[in-house]
Amino acid sequence: MTEHMQNNEKKTVNYEKQMRDIMTTYYINAKTARQNNKKVAWITSGGPVEPLIAMDIIPVYPENHGAMIGASKMGVDLCNKAEQMGYSSDLCSYARGDISCATVNGGPIGGLPEPDMLVCCNNICGTVLKWYEVQARYFKVPLFIFDTPIVHTEFSSEMRTYVQRQMDEYILFLEGVCGRKMDQDRMKEVGKLSYEGQQLWQEVLDTAVNRPSPLTAFDAFFYLALIVTLRGTQQAVDYYRGLRDEMRRRASEGKGAIPRERYRLLWDNLPIWYRLKWLSQEFAKHDACLVADTYTSAWCGSLKYVKENDFIGSAAESYTRIYLNIGVDQMAGIVLSMIDKYGADGIVMHSNRSCKPYSFGQYDIQKIVERERGIPSLIIEADMCDERSFSEAQTQTRIDAFMEMIRANKEAF
Amino acid sequence: MNHLEEYRRAVSEPSDYARQLKKASGKKIIGYTCSYTPEEVIMAAGAHPLRLFGTKQNISLADSHLQSYCCSVVRGILEEGLSGRVDYLDGMVFPHTCDSMQRLSDIWRMNIPLGFHLDITLPVKLDTASAKDYMIDVLKKSRDDLGRKLNIEITDEALQKAIATTNAIRQSIRAIYDIRNLYPQLMPGEDLYTIVRSSMIIDRDRLAVILAETAADLKERAVGAKPAAVKRILLAGSMCNQPDVYAMIQESGGEIVWDDFCTGARYFAGLTDAGNDPLSGIGERLMDRVVCPAKHADLDGRAKHIIQLAKEKNARGVIFLMFKFCDPHAFDYPYLKERLDKAGIPLMVVEIDDSLPAGGQLKTRFEAFLEMLRKEI
Amino acid sequence: MYTIGIDIGSVTAKGVLMSGDKMLASEACFTGYNAGAAARKIFDRLLADNQVRPSDVHGVVATGYGRNSVPFADKTLTEIMCHAAGARHLNPAIGAVIDIGGQDSKAIILGNGGNVANFIMNDKCAAGTGRFLEVMARALEVDLDNFGARSLEAENPAKISSLCAVFAESEVVSLIAGGEKRENIIAGIHEAIASRVAAMASRLGIGAAASVMMTGGVARNIGVVKAMEKALGYPISVSPHAQMTGAIGAACLASYAF
Repeated sequence: MTEHMQNNEKKTVNYEKQMRDIMTTYYINAKTARQNNKKVAWITSGGPVEPLIAMDIIPVYPENHGAMIGASKMGVDLCNKAEQMGYSSDLCSYARGDISCATVNGGPIGGLPEPDMLVCCNNICGTVLKWYEVQARYFKVPLFIFDTPIVHTEFSSEMRTYVQRQMDEYILFLEGVCGRKMDQDRMKEVGKLSYEGQQLWQEVLDTAVNRPSPLTAFDAFFYLALIVTLRGTQQAVDYYRGLRDEMRRRASEGKGAIPRERYRLLWDNLPIWYRLKWLSQEFAKHDACLVADTYTSAWCGSLKYVKENDFIGSAAESYTRIYLNIGVDQMAGIVLSMIDKYGADGIVMHSNRSCKPYSFGQYDIQKIVERERGIPSLIIEADMCDERSFSEAQTQTRIDAFMEMIRANKEAF
Repeated sequence: MNHLEEYRRAVSEPSDYARQLKKASGKKIIGYTCSYTPEEVIMAAGAHPLRLFGTKQNISLADSHLQSYCCSVVRGILEEGLSGRVDYLDGMVFPHTCDSMQRLSDIWRMNIPLGFHLDITLPVKLDTASAKDYMIDVLKKSRDDLGRKLNIEITDEALQKAIATTNAIRQSIRAIYDIRNLYPQLMPGEDLYTIVRSSMIIDRDRLAVILAETAADLKERAVGAKPAAVKRILLAGSMCNQPDVYAMIQESGGEIVWDDFCTGARYFAGLTDAGNDPLSGIGERLMDRVVCPAKHADLDGRAKHIIQLAKEKNARGVIFLMFKFCDPHAFDYPYLKERLDKAGIPLMVVEIDDSLPAGGQLKTRFEAFLEMLRKEI
Repeated sequence: MYTIGIDIGSVTAKGVLMSGDKMLASEACFTGYNAGAAARKIFDRLLADNQVRPSDVHGVVATGYGRNSVPFADKTLTEIMCHAAGARHLNPAIGAVIDIGGQDSKAIILGNGGNVANFIMNDKCAAGTGRFLEVMARALEVDLDNFGARSLEAENPAKISSLCAVFAESEVVSLIAGGEKRENIIAGIHEAIASRVAAMASRLGIGAAASVMMTGGVARNIGVVKAMEKALGYPISVSPHAQMTGAIGAACLASYAF
């Protein structure tokens, strides 16, 4: 984790500690749900969590758990176990880790609480569909699938109708599992909080526009947790408002996240969860700051489609048109706009074995960036959670060579 | 007449066949990648649907666009497109299949300016009313889109005619499968492979005629035949691009009597009930036929189907042929194995890749598996 | 002004002594178990054989996988940077470099002024590296030094399609068992490695206009050079100092670094 300079411990809030506390409480609540007569839903990271919050169901994210497994370096063992169960080692490491974890209650928190229901939205990939089918067979609980067709080039009226109908089916599904009706006022309130939360998250990420940036992508990977898991809660809104103000304060005082920021880079794809500290140190060593990334910005990327006062009515579009569910050329367009917004000197692309929708197309995006902006890009081949697909020596050589190149290019001007 | 030469020629040189067909008939050639493609719509537009299966050549151009952890089917199709070997294509149709195919569609659209490009974003769910309505909506849209791109109005009559043709084709292939299932010795597995594969290559009107004749020929030869004492095997997976596999299994003492391939039995599964609305009929067939693992219809329909097939066709064992890097099939495998084990059906699994020709290692594994099985009495 | 460049590879360590921009001497030895000791040995030999005192040396740059094991180096730089600088030194007109080393391969596009404009590496897969050739030469019982020349004798190169070096070996065994001529198999192997590396170079966008040089140990293999030319469709130059390119570049960069 990047070292931040703390002004005065007594005056400023330690946002890292606060996040850890919130997430700890969140997981404790999830694991004691039954005792508190609450239901637990497992949901995909791109799925509509707001109706769950509105119905007081505790949302749990196997993918967030996957990130924790990676970060605590437990990925290899759990993936190994999944392979023993018959799952190919070429499958997504989040899925492998979660599937095996469920059978042994492994992982850093002793396993996730058992779900009362499963909610799977395939806007991020088709793997989640298979993963949740496996879990539905294992846990024998109701499964709801939110099928969001891919917007290669256009979001058609047929798609809108289909996804909107599924939104209604989703509410009925939740009402069925819980045995009570959705409180429409509460739903509206949660929808508003979700909108506000996403806005605040965007504002947090926006502070990286400053030179030097008070925030690196590695920080963003850490601060991301709440907008994913507790989107739609007052708690998320309060936290991000505080974090945003803190980041703005640091920016106004010229406090950069790394000691010396000379080069600004964009990160693409999921984090390499088990090497975040090492990566941030490697780049900081070269005076390079990863100022923005396409992954964390995906959780505020739909803002333009969300209607603050009509969550349910706008969910069809906002959940379908996310970064991973659009054509590669559209993704490239977003990358170009981020390069411009944050003033990037280069991009670092994680070619992630576990995520095909994110990784296939990177080579084309690379070419487009080079052609349209003339900045270099680096490909790091790895996996987000399975350390066996990562080679430190080779990655270091590539980063060193990339930074040598950027340095030389910049000095030439 | 069994027409085997015609099928063989089409399968070994599909591009030559397509070029000749185009020259002779003037028909537009439309490439497609998945058996969820509404071929009838393409046919009703007066065009010719030609399935792309991958490549038999080494892959090098595709490496600039797709990482190595992508299946050789997708990489192979891209390779064919980039190489210019399929430059006779007037258009390319991409129904939604899986994550890799989804990105193939984008990459093809961005890099290969061959004719037109059309996405058919079919639903992944096949088990709800809203999914069915959407399926039919998308099919209607695809008719409009295709009609526009081919500059032709696709009428209901034309659709009905196309449905009649595809139904006839499916019935003939099924008849061939049925007879061969009873008397596998009447036709080598490789020939069955060739016939089914050619049905995705050859002009459909011609196909309807010759397949009927092939089926009739086989039926005649079946008169008085006795079931051979062989180890009856079911093949499972997405597709097999290497006919050598059939020969290998045969040489090892087995006979493939049925399969659940996308490019096999699933291709001809079910007939289309054209009824009043042909597109609804096409949609219903796609909803109802046994599910592809990239789609969702239920939690264990595929297991039930495979077990039922194995029992129905009296298979002694099941051989899973799985493409390396094929996620949907790889996710299904553990639960299928569990159910088959419970049902007492022996199985083996091999990972295949088009860049790895079926060689000695594969043969050894087939031999070992077949040695393990009891013979059918 | 003397400078020294040391390139510690996984198998061999190379060193070059330069005076200004003139190459005076070069040394090589097996890296072995102790990279630091190998580097020291090279350094000492270069000085002793050329009557140069350590205090005369303006700077030492270390490169290669073992670059961080050379404590007396003034600076470390990646072999990408050093191969680029080395190639430029050997031929100022060079626009791109393709290096096939023992355990990796890389392609580099040079920008104006000889710096690195873009690069791509294959460091995960043996099939595009010198190791592949080593393994194959052993399987076919041919001297590695002769391997390339033998490939040129083929009339009909066999097709070897495996992505993976290990499986390619199985394919070769099958070809031998099938009675395929040895020259054809050897040519097929050379075409296979060329195709992997050419694909990588094409991804980077190296074209005919670039004026390409091959560096690294494998550049001495005439069969690979010819196969690469065929795969890429344009001529490739090779310097007699191909294996020393990294060390030469390191020595060149040592004069600018301080």
